[in-house]
Amino acid sequence: MSGVPLVYYLGLSGILFLLGLLGVMVRRNPLLLLLAVELMLNGANVALIGFSRHWNNSDGQIFALVVMVVAAAEVVVGLGLVVAVFRQRLELDVDQMSRLKG
Amino acid sequence: MGERIVFGVAAAAALACGALVITLRNAFQAAVALIGSLASVAVIFILLAAPFAAAVQVIVYAGAIVVLFLFVIAYLGERGVAGAPDRLAPYRVFGAVAALALLAQGAIVLLDTRLPGAHSDPRPPGDIGSPRAIGDAFLSSHLVPFEATSLLLLAAAVGAVLLAKRAIQMEGGR
Repeated sequence: MSGVPLVYYLGLSGILFLLGLLGVMVRRNPLLLLLAVELMLNGANVALIGFSRHWNNSDGQIFALVVMVVAAAEVVVGLGLVVAVFRQRLELDVDQMSRLKG
Repeated sequence: MGERIVFGVAAAAALACGALVITLRNAFQAAVALIGSLASVAVIFILLAAPFAAAVQVIVYAGAIVVLFLFVIAYLGERGVAGAPDRLAPYRVFGAVAALALLAQGAIVLLDTRLPGAHSDPRPPGDIGSPRAIGDAFLSSHLVPFEATSLLLLAAAVGAVLLAKRAIQMEGGR
């Protein structure tokens, strides 16, 4: 009994994902919503790397690194949208950003 | 035993900081709490024999993504990060019940899983997380996702520039 079994990592991953999901549902400021999405992506990454360790195979880590790149791209575009909406002198509230048009 | 202690501390820190991220009203403080959560998850990655992923986690997530967040929060100022009045307060109970139900389902699935070796001590890991192993995998068997990644980053950069340009044009500038 020295190592940590896989289920503990999966439990941590699930709870992190749940926290992020709660944040996405509760927050209405798009900036804070993006922060919660990062939390969800991190929870998923813990599961991916945990399975990579479990099967003794680096594929899961490759997947996790690709997820990190996707997260970076998502944040760039998301923050660009937030700043664009802000500069239109609109209120930053996802409920009122329901009609985005170029 | 030591591994379990480190796991417990890092997991508790990750969850506590995660809870702060979704509860703090101040956007700046929430972003700093996210750094704490990301750093704790990096420790978890080291425990999982993934040192390269841990380094990327700290450099890209905590170092680049959160700093971008902090820049935007500083740029938007008070009005941008002010919390809107909560119109969903009457439904808070249902949200809590749904979250608890999801948590219970996840716990049942994890306790009941028949995945071989999921509940026992893991075998010692091979060389799966070193930069050499990751680079080898990226450039041999996972070359397509690697190239797709660069295309995605290019698309994101172009999209961000277009958004900024349009926003400036709307304000009458060039």
